Amino acid sequence: MTKEEVKGSAEEEQQEAQSKKALKKQQKEAEKAAKKAEKQAKLAADQQTTEEDDFAQDRYGVCVMMQSQEKLDRSLVRVCELTPDRAGQTVWVRARIHTSRAKGKQCFLVLRQQQFNVQALVAVGERASKQMVKFAANITKESIVDVEAVVQKVEQKIESCSQQDVELHIQRLFVVSQAEPRLPLQLEDAVRPEAEGEEEGRATVNQDTRLDNRVIDLRTTTSQAIFRLQSGVCQLFRDTLTKKGFIEIQTPKIISAASEGGANVFTVSYFKTSAYLAQSPQLYKQMCICADFDKVFCVGPVFRAEDSNTHRHLTEFVGLDIEMAFNYHYHEVINSITDTMVQIFKGLRDNFQTEIQTVCKQYPSEPFKFLEPTLRLEFTEAVALLRSAGVEMGDEEDLSTPNEKLLGRLVKEKYDTDFYVLDKYPLAVRPFYTMPDPHDPKYSNSYDMFMRGEEILSGAQRVHDAQLLTERALHHGIDLEKIKAYIDSFRYGAPPHAGGGIGLERVTMLYLGLHNVRQTSMFPRDPKRLTP
Amino acid sequence: MPMYQNGEVDPALKALEARQDEIMRKLYELKAAVDGLAKTVTTPDADMDVTTMPQTTTMSAFTGTADLDALLGKDPGALRDIVINANPASPPLSLLVLHGLLCQSYRVLSSVHVHSSVSSVPPQLLSCLGPRHTDSHTRQGFQLGFTLIWKDVPKVQMKFSTQSMCPIEGEANVARFLFRLLGSEPKDPIVATQLDSWVDTAFFQLAEGGSKERAAVLRSLNSALGCSIWLLGHEPSLADIVCACCILQDGQASSTPANVQRWLQACRNLEHFHCITPLLQ
Repeated sequence: MTKEEVKGSAEEEQQEAQSKKALKKQQKEAEKAAKKAEKQAKLAADQQTTEEDDFAQDRYGVCVMMQSQEKLDRSLVRVCELTPDRAGQTVWVRARIHTSRAKGKQCFLVLRQQQFNVQALVAVGERASKQMVKFAANITKESIVDVEAVVQKVEQKIESCSQQDVELHIQRLFVVSQAEPRLPLQLEDAVRPEAEGEEEGRATVNQDTRLDNRVIDLRTTTSQAIFRLQSGVCQLFRDTLTKKGFIEIQTPKIISAASEGGANVFTVSYFKTSAYLAQSPQLYKQMCICADFDKVFCVGPVFRAEDSNTHRHLTEFVGLDIEMAFNYHYHEVINSITDTMVQIFKGLRDNFQTEIQTVCKQYPSEPFKFLEPTLRLEFTEAVALLRSAGVEMGDEEDLSTPNEKLLGRLVKEKYDTDFYVLDKYPLAVRPFYTMPDPHDPKYSNSYDMFMRGEEILSGAQRVHDAQLLTERALHHGIDLEKIKAYIDSFRYGAPPHAGGGIGLERVTMLYLGLHNVRQTSMFPRDPKRLTP
Repeated sequence: MPMYQNGEVDPALKALEARQDEIMRKLYELKAAVDGLAKTVTTPDADMDVTTMPQTTTMSAFTGTADLDALLGKDPGALRDIVINANPASPPLSLLVLHGLLCQSYRVLSSVHVHSSVSSVPPQLLSCLGPRHTDSHTRQGFQLGFTLIWKDVPKVQMKFSTQSMCPIEGEANVARFLFRLLGSEPKDPIVATQLDSWVDTAFFQLAEGGSKERAAVLRSLNSALGCSIWLLGHEPSLADIVCACCILQDGQASSTPANVQRWLQACRNLEHFHCITPLLQ
């Protein structure tokens, strides 16, 4: 044998081997193609059968986009109203597809409307075809549907739904608005308690993902409960104060000068000059008092240009502000404010128990405790309490945040209250317009209120005398020119008055024992977030 | 015979224990009665009619003041606030009487609060510490704070210094604490023991005991009061306060024996008892 021959045979062998491989490959591909063809044929056949014998084809489908084409006289029943009383009734319900699970000839759906949900069932039978069940199983989560269904009592409570005693047997099913198949976050993950997520290695959603996709995050039962409760806080605040003879005022948010010096204000361009966003409505509240409105409150946004990225700071939040003229002692005002807070707490305790429980499921916390009338302690007592707990601090030193927390714990231990007033702060740590104590120039007629050891309100009797106000401003080294308008408001007779303001988000957060103010701000603004 | 059957104490043993307790109690009563008799012999004015006695003399027992620094520790530079948690379903009458006495000895800042665990409280319970002090806006001007909180608690509870002292539970123990602040405890150890015993009798047998126990205590009270005006001789003491309050709270003061009734009336005539009258309807 020549060398070439050897080579040739080797090549041949190789070729042979190659062709064998190729052959196998081809065979496989052919098989695949055959399977595919078969599948397609089957699908086509299926479709044919669909077209041929889907007796239920007008009982389901995707609606045309609603442009108010017709005005149906159809009343929709709310999910929360689906109770055993309605058993046997045929009802129309509009809700979102919360989850869906197909099983042979049945498809189980959970329909959700706000914080309520109910189980629904599409099963092949007289009213529904195989195709209809398949259609139901393929509707994307979070889509909005209209269903016509019979309410049926169930033998065993459905633990996973808010409506535990009934389910819906669907007869018609129309998609009103479809959701995209890929959701940026899963609702189940977003309501999972953190501890459970950690223990079982299941997914939870981090805060930034939540806030980036706030529209979906707000659909969770927890968010629904939080913002319903927050609305309750506002409502109770307004109702209580209105009953006490306060009137609600609106104050400008674009102002010409910063009320407390120049720090922490946002500058906005204002035609040829610049203006500021209001840090608090205080000046205007006080002017209303000077204008004889006697007792005023306002609810509105306030802005703080503080670059603090903490769990409790926002750059824009809702302020609930009170200002009130008093007869003889600023404690009249403290009593008014604390009573308003107590009425809010009582209203929440008595009317928002479901919401509180819902939030507690995801974020467990102790129920909020309070005393009526509210406990009032004095600053010197707080210092004594802290010192006895080993804290070293000066008499005229302001409370640091950790000390505030510690004090909250000490007060809770002794009085078992999550809400109290600390009165008589050192004059040195309060703003220039704070009225000094008449007996001790080191202290002032000013107070802070605390919820769960965090400050929620800061207030004081204000200096209502232009002369004293000028002195105090000079003492603080404030440019008199800048606050001229403020001082001038007190030149023409001003009633003695006091007030304070609370942050709605903080109150909601602390009442519910949550740990981040962003959870109680619908679209939070902080130094790192401007959207959505 | 086994002492324990299925983890239960044998009933015969229980009965024996009960009998022994009963004998001990009778001995105590006997001793108290004898002491009372001894007092009538040694104190000439013990059989004077209490209703005719000027109140100032009956009060004298309580007007002593104690050194608060010695009792409660060094002045903390802040109000010494005694916090009492009580259930509105059973107001601690004896503590209200003691509050009245404290107010006679010290400048006391009294306040009543309702805790969020209780939904509503009758108005007489809100005013049970009397009208608010006119100077109540300056907390530092007072020697003592008396903060009564109506709260859903199973037992009366007192908190003073949460860091150096555990809470005191039970009306009897709180009453003992408050009484000490008055500085009028009996110096004689025998009398002090009798006082302690009456306090226990009042809360364990009058307030919590069955009808038979109550009847027995009323009988022994009656015999004790047959020989002296007050339970511990010729001056009213904590023993009178707690026993009277326990009987009054029950609302069956009118069906008590004669001496007890006379003594109850005498108690109610004392100024510091007036604060509980509105609560007894």
